[in-house]
Amino acid sequence: MEKIGVFLCTGCGIGEAIDVDEVIEAADEVGCACTLTHECLCAPEGLEAIRGAVSENELDGILVAACSERAKTREFAALTEDGPSMFRIAVREHCAWPLKDAEEDEDKTMAAQDLVRMGLARLDGVKAIEPLEEEISDTVMVVGSGRAGLEASLTAAGLGHPVVLVEKDDHLGGLLADQLSIPPEQPPYEAPEANPIPGLIDEVNAHDDIKVLTDTGITEITGQPGQFKVSLNGSSGLEMTVGSIVQATGAKPYDASKLGHLGYGASPDVVTSHEFENMLVDGKITCPSDGRTPGRIAYIQCAGSRDENHLKYCSSECCINTLRQMMEVKKIDPSIENAVIYKDIRAPGLMEYFFLAAQKETGGMMARGEVDRIEANGKLSIHMTDSMLGDNVAIDADLVVLAVGMVPQSADGELIRELHDSVHQAETSESSKVRENSAARAEELADFEGTEILNLDYRQGPDLPTLEYGFPDSHFICFPYETRRTGIYAAGTVHAPMESVQAAEDGLGAAMKAVQCIEMAKRGEAVHPRAGDTAYPDFFLQRCTDCKRCTEECPFGTLNENEKGTPELFPLRCRRCGICMGACPERIISFPDFSVLMIAEMIKAMEVPDEDDEKPRILALMCENDAVPALDAAAANGATWNPWVRVIPIRCLGSMNIVWLAEALSRGIDGVILIGCKYGDDYQCHYVRGSELANTRLENVGETLERLALEPERVKLVELSHDEFGRIPQILDDFAEELDEMGPNPLKGF
Amino acid sequence: MASIPVLHTSSEFREEFFDRGGENAARCYQCATCSSVCELAPANAPFPRRQILWAQWGLEDRLVSDAGPWLCYQCNDCSVRCPREVNPGDVMASIRAMVVEKLATPAFLGKLVGNVKKTWPLLVLGPLVYWLILLGATGIHIPGIDPELGALDGRFHYEHFVPHILIYFTYFAATFFALFTMWSSGRRFWKMLGTSQARTGSFFGALIGAFFDIATHKKFRSCDRGVFKRKWGHFLVMWGFVGAAITSGFAVVYLYRETVFFSWLNLQYSYPMPITHWVKWLGNISAVALVVGGLLLWLNRRNPGDKLVGVTTPFDRFFLWVVLTVIATGVLTELFRFIAAPPVLACAVYVIHLAIVLTLFLTLPYSKFAHILYRTLAMTHERLTAENG
Repeated sequence: MEKIGVFLCTGCGIGEAIDVDEVIEAADEVGCACTLTHECLCAPEGLEAIRGAVSENELDGILVAACSERAKTREFAALTEDGPSMFRIAVREHCAWPLKDAEEDEDKTMAAQDLVRMGLARLDGVKAIEPLEEEISDTVMVVGSGRAGLEASLTAAGLGHPVVLVEKDDHLGGLLADQLSIPPEQPPYEAPEANPIPGLIDEVNAHDDIKVLTDTGITEITGQPGQFKVSLNGSSGLEMTVGSIVQATGAKPYDASKLGHLGYGASPDVVTSHEFENMLVDGKITCPSDGRTPGRIAYIQCAGSRDENHLKYCSSECCINTLRQMMEVKKIDPSIENAVIYKDIRAPGLMEYFFLAAQKETGGMMARGEVDRIEANGKLSIHMTDSMLGDNVAIDADLVVLAVGMVPQSADGELIRELHDSVHQAETSESSKVRENSAARAEELADFEGTEILNLDYRQGPDLPTLEYGFPDSHFICFPYETRRTGIYAAGTVHAPMESVQAAEDGLGAAMKAVQCIEMAKRGEAVHPRAGDTAYPDFFLQRCTDCKRCTEECPFGTLNENEKGTPELFPLRCRRCGICMGACPERIISFPDFSVLMIAEMIKAMEVPDEDDEKPRILALMCENDAVPALDAAAANGATWNPWVRVIPIRCLGSMNIVWLAEALSRGIDGVILIGCKYGDDYQCHYVRGSELANTRLENVGETLERLALEPERVKLVELSHDEFGRIPQILDDFAEELDEMGPNPLKGF
Repeated sequence: MASIPVLHTSSEFREEFFDRGGENAARCYQCATCSSVCELAPANAPFPRRQILWAQWGLEDRLVSDAGPWLCYQCNDCSVRCPREVNPGDVMASIRAMVVEKLATPAFLGKLVGNVKKTWPLLVLGPLVYWLILLGATGIHIPGIDPELGALDGRFHYEHFVPHILIYFTYFAATFFALFTMWSSGRRFWKMLGTSQARTGSFFGALIGAFFDIATHKKFRSCDRGVFKRKWGHFLVMWGFVGAAITSGFAVVYLYRETVFFSWLNLQYSYPMPITHWVKWLGNISAVALVVGGLLLWLNRRNPGDKLVGVTTPFDRFFLWVVLTVIATGVLTELFRFIAAPPVLACAVYVIHLAIVLTLFLTLPYSKFAHILYRTLAMTHERLTAENG
């Protein structure tokens, strides 16, 4: 930026907290085209004043020194419509409010001066953004034709997008296709409803914009959102370009042959809920062993679910399904007795009405207990432990129905990739040790051979990475349909265990996201979490050393590698987190408005007083998704903290480049604190593993610090969630105290 | 693992039970709200949650051998709070009715009274027919009408109509029958209680304690929500019956004061006793208690749909109507003695009274009245198990 104006607001207590003149003076010292103070910048008069100054001085950069960028967002954003770049520094939340208890007034002013210097340094580096203008396909491809896939197809087509529905079987419908009925979806939620699948299939077949391809698999998908090139095999053998993809490949029943302890295989009268469904469809309920009508059917819930040795999770639909089957049994033969043995009946939400109705209508016996084993001697004897009926008991039944859970029909992209890499290493590595280890690993992963579904041409593997238990999810709370591959959305039972009606909703939601992705790609915008961001990273490849850190660490598979290992960018896959930027040891990755250099310049712009002044300095690099909003909330709630802290919001802790730490500490800044999202199994990082990667980088930085004769404790990473804003003062003050005990940074003044 | 007890679930029992007002048990999802809110449930054997589960599964053995249902006073706190509208209070009442039937000696009489919905005409008319036949056989002499008895002397002499000997013969026999069958059922019940839960301590000590609780209606105090009518109605009816029983006992003693059995008592008054005699006072006070108490119980039941009251099953209704008829006909019988009521009416009411009392006596071990046996035993049992976990 050539000509930057500094606009300092004195409202909201800022004017009283700081010496306005001295702050303006600091801005002038750095050098700027104009300065302006106003008692209420966000008011129409204030905004008008800024506009006036912009046109008068032909500014191309606006530094708004007022409140947090989460306040008055729309008002200030309107200023950039005519072209100038804007950067906002939160004098109010980072200085005026939280430092109100500072012992010396000059500390507050110094903080504000630093903020202005840093803001100017940042704006100075910002380059003009050239949005992507690519040819984008309108087509949505839906993979899988169960309830979720059918609903997704109809939704996308209903929104005016052409749809290609790909199904590997020779018919549509998925797991539900052959089911007699489904649990109720309409009030009063008391009786099973007709299976909606046949109706949906007719609707899909009749729709002009939906192309149905059965008996079809995917050989390869290359490219990026808006431009996926898809090759299909099977009878169609087509190639086509699609804009986005909904993976609704569904689930399969858990393999009951692993449930020998429940009598499956030992007695023909032990059947799965799916096998039992066939009897219901035929309207003839018999014991397979001798064809007699069972006097009592026992349903074993959680058969191989919520079980350390089998499926660890709850499939969430089996309880309701059993209730439905009980009701169907009563319709077919009211004399048959139903008994349910369960760990917990999970009838969430309105299904409680169905649960009640099933109990009332069938008079079914329901008993909680752990099934230890099922013995077959003439009658089937279900041995239970820890039952509510008494300690250990056994109950007889003529027919046992195992309510088995569901296993997602997903492919673990990351493990498939590891398999391929291991096979490759085992053949080509120069070290015999590596060859041996790789061969061993390849053997362990041999089962993954040939499990590919999407066959993505992505460096990080041919399918979606899975999160837990094989479900390809990414961040359920914030982005319920997102996978870790931009433009590919998971829906239905492959996404998470769910029942029919949820699968319908899931398919609808995923289709809407798929359409949104296409529409935003047309405008060159990121879909999420930085929705609407048109900037994307630039790789200065001349200096690339092919170290592959960026291609490995990108959580979204944005980068492929060429044969040498040089990254190939697919900007429409990118989510703009900057993790590649943080990873790059050569610092060749930059966004037009966010780069290693810009932040380094901000750090350089901080004034570091001499040791004699006894004014330590702390740099806080904070995640703008959760940590900075938490800081704003803390300030708004009247929290106060140490005046030595200077905050720089960054996109993700994963974008933190080690260079920044070196820069800060070598300048004599006493300590650097990184505050980001929680990581681990229940991670909250919007970019899946940014804060975790930052932590890994810190582990490696300790040595470097020791070489500089600095204590490794001068750099600290803290995990914080949005709602923990109350912890902020404690975190900052504790760190200040720890640094105080260590004494000043010995590099001060060098 | 041969030691695992196999549950003997009984579909017939379930069906029977559901038919007798327990069908709501099928709705229970075992949240245990009922056991948590119950003020009376002992900590070591809380009810009614598990009794409902047993009922759901048709586990007759466990229900029959359990003290829980008999420790419940049906204050219906649980029914009010139950999120599933199981109405555990009513389920417990149905369980009690089933237990009375299952423990009956002989079993067919239990079934007969248990099926009161269908069999009530037999239970009511049987004793009436018995009396009519008995009187017909011995000769019907209505005072004031039968010339042999002479004119009325301002009072109505029922003994001319029904000789005392017939009354003693009938009711001593009925009483012995009731006592014998209750002894037999009670023994079985007590044994079963003992196998399901070990007891320690003195039986008589515990029994006296239980009697004290019953006499003072102490447990009703724990469940004080909206049971005013039930508590005081029950209190008055219970003591009214005790008073009436003492009165009847003394009446016999006075009648035979000169025989070898009672002459040593040296009783002064001749029969009939004057109205101011304390036995008469006791009898009349008891009658008032019975009338007021009976009225309260009747009013209490006249509130269909109120969960605090609960559902009135045929089993409940039969018992209540028998008691109310006994009270009403008893009071009328006394009244007709003093006012110049038409002799035929007086005699008719008297016969009805005798018949309904006989119904009461004969059905006592099988009707809701049997609770005096099972409840007392259960309360005694509870005192002997309170400290055994």
